[in-house]
Amino acid sequence: MAEVHVIGQIIGATGFSESSLFCKWGIHTGAAWKLLSGVREGQTQVDTPQVGDMAYWSHPIDLHFATKGLQGWPRLHLQVWSQDSFGRCQLAGYGFCHVPSSPGTHQLDCPTWRPLGSWREQLARAFVGGGPQLLHADTIYSGADRYRLHTAAGGTVRLELGLLLRHFDRYGVEC
Amino acid sequence: MAAANPSVFLLMVNGQVESAQFPEYDDLYCKYCFVYGQDWAPTAGLEEGISQITSKSQDVRRALVWNFPIDVTFKSTNPFGWPQIVLSVYGPDVFGNDVVRGYGAVHVPFSPGRHKRTIPMFVPESTSKLQKFTSWFMGRRPEYTDPKVVAQGEGREVTRVHSQGFVTLLFNVVTKDMRKLGYDTGPADIHGIPGPSLPQGIPR
Repeated sequence: MAEVHVIGQIIGATGFSESSLFCKWGIHTGAAWKLLSGVREGQTQVDTPQVGDMAYWSHPIDLHFATKGLQGWPRLHLQVWSQDSFGRCQLAGYGFCHVPSSPGTHQLDCPTWRPLGSWREQLARAFVGGGPQLLHADTIYSGADRYRLHTAAGGTVRLELGLLLRHFDRYGVEC
Repeated sequence: MAAANPSVFLLMVNGQVESAQFPEYDDLYCKYCFVYGQDWAPTAGLEEGISQITSKSQDVRRALVWNFPIDVTFKSTNPFGWPQIVLSVYGPDVFGNDVVRGYGAVHVPFSPGRHKRTIPMFVPESTSKLQKFTSWFMGRRPEYTDPKVVAQGEGREVTRVHSQGFVTLLFNVVTKDMRKLGYDTGPADIHGIPGPSLPQGIPR
């Protein structure tokens, strides 16, 4: 079986209008993939930057997969939330990106979006906070029901992911 | 024997903790240590170190330079738990106490070659305004009892931090027997980067 190591960091996020941000992340893979070591999902710390507008998390990702097929290549999905001084959390954006498929270190910029609601919900969000959220997190990384959504852009999440592949050449796979 | 069918690969890292950018603080020193998984063991070199205390230069750059060497070799059977370097930067506060100015961590790069990494440094934040004032006054800021938690992902969801500076590191990485064991680490660093450079402003 071929093996894939994903070793890297969720560096931080920039371009969001709120400043105290944290990120919930997860990895989704197809049926041919099996996670051998590492945690599949997590949540970063809440960062309030003192300098500049980029929130830095430096959250480590270390995953070891074994795979029998190329379908269902791992996808990293992210939810960026902001936390205010009262401890309330508000959604800032959803985003996903595929884990790179060529070995080596990659700098990734993942764009994010958030669902807009009706004009009433948008007005309420501006004054009181809150706002619509997805019921099922798999809409973040699947295209199935997206046509129902009307969304606005959020900021960008920066990641540095390194990929280490093992035995892919035995199976004739070129990466 | 062992050379024909190795079961262990080696990772040799050397380099330096080059410099830091902390706009609001001065007279800083840093400590580094390596955090790695259960399948890893250091075979040579130093796993930890404490640097000198550096002050900002008088010229227009206002640079904080340590130029502090790193030299360590690890062996392992499994890339899971790839070593991370954890940095803690400390400096004096207004009353002269030694307080933490930032924690940061980054994985040692795994493709052979020369790599430069600039990592953000953050400090834990006090929970309430009263705690913030008391800790400023008493000189006992919130800090991690074991800086190695910075290298872990679990348990971070309850912490609040401020990011307030950057540290630049240079690594040279050499690996042995990773290819024999079937690992493909990607292209070696063919572009190369210039030698230790002057500290720049806040990076992109």
